[in-house]
Amino acid sequence: MIRLRSSIIAFCGLALAALAGAPAEAADVAAGKQKAEICAGCHGDNGISQTENIPSLAGQPDQFIQWQLVYFRAGARKNEQMQPIVEPINNEDIRNLGAYFASLAPPKPSQPDDDPDLSKKGAEAAAGRRCASCHTDNFAGTKAVARIAGQREEYLVKALHDYKSGMRSGGGQAAMAEVAYPLSEEEITALAHYLAHL
Amino acid sequence: MKSKFNRSVLALAAVAVVAGASLANAQQQPPQNKSLKHYESGTKDFWTHPPDDWFLGDETEAQKGLAPPSGPPTGSSDAELASLLKKIKLPPGFKIEVYASNVLAARQMAWGDKGTLFVGSFGLGNVYAITDKDGKKEVKTILKGLNMPTGLAFRNGALYVIAVDKLIKYDNAEANLDKLGDGKVVYDDMPSYAAHGWKYLAADKDGWFYVPFGPPFNIGVPPTSVSQIRRVDPQTGNAEIWALGVRNSVGGDVDPRSGKYWFTENARDWISDDLPSDKLNMISKMGEHFGYPYCHQGDLPDPKFAMGHKCSEFTPPVLNLGAHVAPLGMKFYTGEQFPADYKNSILIAEHGSWNRHKYQGGRIVRVTAGPDGKNAKQEVFASGWIEGDQGYLGRPADIILAKDGSILVADDWAGAIYRISYSKK
Repeated sequence: MIRLRSSIIAFCGLALAALAGAPAEAADVAAGKQKAEICAGCHGDNGISQTENIPSLAGQPDQFIQWQLVYFRAGARKNEQMQPIVEPINNEDIRNLGAYFASLAPPKPSQPDDDPDLSKKGAEAAAGRRCASCHTDNFAGTKAVARIAGQREEYLVKALHDYKSGMRSGGGQAAMAEVAYPLSEEEITALAHYLAHL
Repeated sequence: MKSKFNRSVLALAAVAVVAGASLANAQQQPPQNKSLKHYESGTKDFWTHPPDDWFLGDETEAQKGLAPPSGPPTGSSDAELASLLKKIKLPPGFKIEVYASNVLAARQMAWGDKGTLFVGSFGLGNVYAITDKDGKKEVKTILKGLNMPTGLAFRNGALYVIAVDKLIKYDNAEANLDKLGDGKVVYDDMPSYAAHGWKYLAADKDGWFYVPFGPPFNIGVPPTSVSQIRRVDPQTGNAEIWALGVRNSVGGDVDPRSGKYWFTENARDWISDDLPSDKLNMISKMGEHFGYPYCHQGDLPDPKFAMGHKCSEFTPPVLNLGAHVAPLGMKFYTGEQFPADYKNSILIAEHGSWNRHKYQGGRIVRVTAGPDGKNAKQEVFASGWIEGDQGYLGRPADIILAKDGSILVADDWAGAIYRISYSKK
């Protein structure tokens, strides 16, 4: 898994498999917060991104954060900004960062939904594409699966495009490629709008 | 409850695939009505672009929802390792300790001449070097971004890494741990199939490597280039097919008594919790056929792929190790530290089950057998990595002897290397 999909291990199954239960980590939230200072420049204070195309990390599942950092560090998930930042951090840092971001209150949509019709279409698409079967009923994510509720709208569009085009690697791409490949532009727009306003 | 959720999620995913265009309809059905996951695996398209859940392709009603578990992303912390080691059971006089932690996804190990321990990894794509610095072990990631570099070996100053379809040589490796460079590909006549494409290296006295080639699926008629063990000369790139009819082998060693190659083999999935057994094999002569896909465990014709073949046509295993125990790395014990009757015993790292409702394996077994493979029997050497029915604290993946006669064990779940030693009371 993993690369060519060489990441055989990194399928949605990974996320699923994680349910089998790893021992609880005794991570240090305060140390994670300190380590996360460098993240705030892009990902925002308290993990709420104010920057276009940069995801919010607040309220993401602990294991999702950990996996993505491990993938960035190993080069399995590629990103020019993230790679040099993640390179020097150790496993304990990663556990602490996972615990810290998971402890933050998730982003709330501050504005009312300016296009309820589009959201309705997005809700239908989400049901049809079975997003909830991995991302959970309230789209808060679990274990290695990301929270997508309340994520930045344009970032969701970007992420879906990256999965659709095969550019996104490092975990979950099996399930996501399968789901994203057949999505139309209209569905992507509607899904992103719906999820961002949850 | 967890496993129930797990199953329904998988079932949903399965439906999503099967239903294809009619996804909207599929969502209306309760998960238990979903059809089983099935892939047509006998095609080149499947081999070259397997879905990430290709191992679910032969799912059965009885085994539905079982899937390989994934370990903690950052392995186990030192505190967790300390509590884990207290749970490991060993024969009297043996002791287990942590040799190195933070070796994520650790697989095959090899010693450099100057005492560097090289360690491969699975999906992370890393190769590590572990060195001793003022009595503390330092773990350095020396290679990154390789394609499942599970197997490695060290010969004449060079580190060899096998990454699915490339055998790469890094000259003078121990002097260049910080700048290994791109290395030199010395053998690449191998398919790029990801499924069962991860490998293991064992050198014989001539310096040729035994290299396993697994089929790119669970069960089927294999492409001509796989389901075999080759013997490869890293000097010239010459190779010969040494054994046929082999499924997924990720461990083997040369018998110090006879020079013959013995290897572990993971049997097919999705028949049942207790069938078929995984195997320990010995190659007596070049070109032997070990039965896959026609016959399993020496006496079980495949329900679909026996196709008229009888098990008597094939070389039987030296020993059936048990169903879904997942034997990986193995070594003949040639050290002096363990009790005398361990001499030439085979120690096998069992990775443990995923395609079984109650996991087994996840331990180290000791096999004794004559040089001809006769009178083989096994006993549990080290256990305690499985907790409950489907919980892992760790998963042994490889074994190597240390100079002092102790053994090191790589654990790709906990991301750790253990040392097991013996001292007379």
